[in-house]
This record gives sequence, C-alpha cells and structure tokens, in this order.
Amino acid sequence: MTNSIPSSPDNPIQLLHAYVDGELDLTEALSVERKIADDPRLAAERDRIIALREAIHEKLPREPISPGLQLRIEKTFGLRQEASRPTWRALAASVALAVLVTSSSTWLFFGSNDTRTTEDAIVAGHIRALTAPQPADIASSERHTVKPWFNGRVLEAPHVADLANAGFPLIGGRVDVVGARTVPTLVYARRKHIISLTAVPASGKANSGPKISVDNGYNIVQWTANGVSYWAVSDVSATDLDEFAKIFRATQS
Amino acid sequence: MGAEANNRARFAKLVTPYLSHAYRLARSLTGSQADAEDVVQEACLRAFRGINSVADTNARAWLLTIVHHTACTWLRKNRPAALITVVDVAAVEEKQANSSEQDAETPETALIAKADRARLEEAIASLSLPYRETFTLREVEGLNYREIAEVTGVPIGTVMSRLSRAREQLNELIERNQ
Repeated sequence: MTNSIPSSPDNPIQLLHAYVDGELDLTEALSVERKIADDPRLAAERDRIIALREAIHEKLPREPISPGLQLRIEKTFGLRQEASRPTWRALAASVALAVLVTSSSTWLFFGSNDTRTTEDAIVAGHIRALTAPQPADIASSERHTVKPWFNGRVLEAPHVADLANAGFPLIGGRVDVVGARTVPTLVYARRKHIISLTAVPASGKANSGPKISVDNGYNIVQWTANGVSYWAVSDVSATDLDEFAKIFRATQS
Repeated sequence: MGAEANNRARFAKLVTPYLSHAYRLARSLTGSQADAEDVVQEACLRAFRGINSVADTNARAWLLTIVHHTACTWLRKNRPAALITVVDVAAVEEKQANSSEQDAETPETALIAKADRARLEEAIASLSLPYRETFTLREVEGLNYREIAEVTGVPIGTVMSRLSRAREQLNELIERNQ
C-alpha cells in the first residue's frame, strides 16, 4: 500500500496526513509518531484532521443514488425482470440489443451462507492473516482511523471499540472474504496473540448469545447483534476469548 | 450463459453495488443532482461497454475513474469555466506542496467539532474542483491514495498535496466562520 508514496519525507505535514489516513508502513508510522510526540504543532494538526473527519462522518449523510435512477439503470441494462419500455432514450439507442434480449433477471443478490461455510471462511481468513507479513491491512490503534478505512471496502463499516484498557488493544483492521463478499475484520491483540473479529451481515437473524466452539485448534466465539453476526477467532484460551467477547458486546449496547 | 447475459451479470456484480459512490462523485464534481444523474447514466453506458476490461477486484476505482472522465467531459462542454480553475490549481499546486508550512495556530478542534452540516457543505463546496474531488474520494468514499491517484489521473504526490491543502483550507474556513 505504501510503495508508491514518495519516500522523501521532506514535507512533514503531508506525511502526517498520510499517517492519519493509514497509508504509512510500520517504520514510517513510528517515525511520524515520534515527531508528533516531539512537536505540539504536529499533534494539534493531527487532532484537527481527526476532528474534521469525525465531523464529516457524523454530520454529512452519505447521499445514496435516487431509487428512480437506480431502477432506470437496472432496467436499461436488463437487470430487472419487469417488462418495461426504457424511458432513457439515449441509452436505449446505444444498448437496444441488451434491452431487447432481456429474458431473465440476472439481478444478483447475496444468499445467506450456511454457518459451516462461514466458519470455514473466517478461520481461513484468520490463518492467512497470521501467515501474512502483517495481520492487518491497516495498522492503527486509533478507532477513528480504522472505522473510516472500511468505507467503500465493505457494505457497512463495523462497530469499532477501543478495548486497550481491558487488555485487548486494537491493532488494526482488514477485509476478509466470506461467500464472495467482502466483510470487515477487526484485529485485536492479547499479549502476544492475535484476535480476529469478523462482522458478517446477517439481516433478519435474531440476536443470539455467545457460542463457543473449536475449529482447527482455534477457539471461536460467535454471537449475533443488530443484524450482524460476529465471529471472534484466536489461539488465546477460550476463557480469554470469552472475556473479550463479553467486553466487546458491552460496548455495543 | 451467452455473452450478453454474461455482460449483464458482470455489470450487476461489479457496477450496481457502487452506483451510490458514482453518484456522490458526480454530484461533487457537477454540483447538482440533475447534472450528476446525467453523468452517472453516461458513465454506466461507458462502463457497460468496457465491462470485460475490468478485474473483479478493482471495480469501484474503475467505475469512479469512468465517472471522473465522464464528468470532466461534461464540464468541458457545459461549464468550461470550472475546468480553467483546474489548470490554475495544477500550476500552483507544486509551489504549495513545498511551502505548506503550517502556521503555529492553536488547535481549534472544538470549533471543527461544533460545525453543523450546512457549514461543512458550504466549506466543501467552496474548495476548488480538484481539492473537492480528492477530499470527497478520501473522506466520503474512503479510497486510499493509490486509488485516488488512479481515479483522478495524477501522481500520488499530487494526491497528498491536494488532500493536505484541502483539509487545511476546510479547517481554516470552518474556524474563521464560527
């Protein structure tokens, strides 16, 4: 992610922005953190960048495309089954063929995967992360950096809690793939161990309490809250992982 | 599956999930809902024609690149004045990149946090087009620097200078107007 960032650190302000945006690798990030510690002006600037980001995320709604236009586009490209005369003349002329041959809906939707497949994918994601150079695609202990990083990468950015005080510091986030769909995974540390917490959309599913299981030697705690199925995977003890789940769940209510 | 059905399936899988992203970028560039919808429609047409040239993993940045080009073509035709700004900005950008030493101002994070939606929108709208586009792609759409460079067709160094200048200008505007 960082190899095309100009390496000459001649502009400390731009590097600071890159740091807040999670664009720096570990060595560069540490160097910026040292500079921030030494220079109150850099610390103040970092706070302003984060304050602006939070204000944007809290107060500016991400305006979706209008349902009318969405429908028009889906019909134009034959993604809806309803027979309809395209009202969008310019496009209709260009892709008349596409519209005329429409016979079956190819509107894709994600069916829910069965639990077994989901668990396999989540454990695979955790193992892959452990064998990768870094367990997180974005390395940051700052939840205001980690949460927005997920925007656009997954359908919905996850709830991100800072659990450092409870002995589970946040170390970053990554995107895993479950059933051909990208899902957010938060990465926490417990002493020298890594905990992956993956949030899989489960709309319509009722809330359920934590269930503990073991897969391939990894402990797993799974629960469902507010239409999201959470999977915590780690090689920490079942007791520790259960405690982690309890503390995380407490931040959700 | 025939070629046509295959193209439709690819369009449904790769383009439709990002239509709102496409719309917001078009809206940010053209400044109006109606114009943004025209741009998105045209961009979808281009995307459909090129649907076989995109890798599955890169669809969002690819679609936004198409929206960027479509919007620039649209602006050139309908608002040539807006693009003149782009040239001016590009010319002064390099100078700013090397001289953007921050004033030793006290941090006014409380003022930024208090800014309401109208003030934020007004401040963003007052940015020049390349700054507004870069800032929107980063803070609203969550693209990383490499993706922003790809979408806007500039080097990563330019993305970095645009983004830091855009944020500085926004913060100054918001603090000044409180």
